[in-house]
Amino acid sequence: MIRIIVILLFSMTNVWADGKEQKNEMPHTGHSFDTLVDGEKLEVDPDRLGAFLQGLSDSQIAVISVQGMVCDFCARGIEKMFKLDPKVKKIDIDLSKGKVLVAYSDEDSIDFNDIKQKILSNGQNATHLKILRI
Amino acid sequence: MGIRVVIFAVSLLPLGLESRPISYSGGSTLMLFSDDIKNSLYYHYSPTHQYSVGIEAVEDKYQREKYAYLRFTYLLNRKNSQHSQRNLYFQTGLSPNRDANLFYGIHGDWETRRWFAGFNVKKIETKASMYVDQCYQIGLAPYLGEYGAIHSWLMVKTRKFSYEEGWSTYPVLKFFKGDTLVEFGYDKHNHWNAHLMYRF
Repeated sequence: MIRIIVILLFSMTNVWADGKEQKNEMPHTGHSFDTLVDGEKLEVDPDRLGAFLQGLSDSQIAVISVQGMVCDFCARGIEKMFKLDPKVKKIDIDLSKGKVLVAYSDEDSIDFNDIKQKILSNGQNATHLKILRI
Repeated sequence: MGIRVVIFAVSLLPLGLESRPISYSGGSTLMLFSDDIKNSLYYHYSPTHQYSVGIEAVEDKYQREKYAYLRFTYLLNRKNSQHSQRNLYFQTGLSPNRDANLFYGIHGDWETRRWFAGFNVKKIETKASMYVDQCYQIGLAPYLGEYGAIHSWLMVKTRKFSYEEGWSTYPVLKFFKGDTLVEFGYDKHNHWNAHLMYRF
């Protein structure tokens, strides 16, 4: 029985890997979003991410780690910069975790250098990117 | 120095310690300031995140005159880390319709989500006098609000003009939500002051 459960778990999930730019499939909706299948922490507020995913489908979520994003007032510029990009469907800021969540259409390519430039235009630094597919 | 000179000197000054004197690339900020001595309207535009240019219109209630400053702020250094940001700025302003009215100085701040510390040291040159204005500020956020919530800061500001003996220390309350920031302070010279900022 245990072997069957293990096989099922491996067949349902993808392994998340370390790296500056990663692509992963999201666990299907209804599951917790804070811990990945291999135990790695996503480091995004699960409630905030859950709310962000509401109404989204066939999308990619860029989870961007940002340094220097210490206040709401100064993070507003990040939101404004991304909203100028017609590819961006939705954006949210997780101040407590230092993350920016950006939803793109499934067909669009996500350019980390472009993201870094947008963040830098507001005076902060983007350090890591993870891409989730829903 | 009498109170008349102090009031006159203070009335010439732009705001002592501004939050975020530079906006994001292409961003603009509008600031309104009011106290017993003056009303001020300051608009600045940031072509990049490294500098801003702006104009400040001042209504001097004591002298009963109106004038303007052309202002420039440049980011000299910034250090971003996971939980903090530190900035060092050069600031200058020139009043074209007042004889030799110029200020220049350094503004620095360090901020986490919980703590704030900042300073502003500025030299002011007018036709009649030349002096240094020093301002230091520390702040504490009593709670950590999420993005989009109302954020609050409890602050203490202390200030000294080079022609005066003592320091003036007073409390400041700051609140912001979204693109709007309001700040209230109280000091013995100017009594209540209010500062409204909107970024767009």
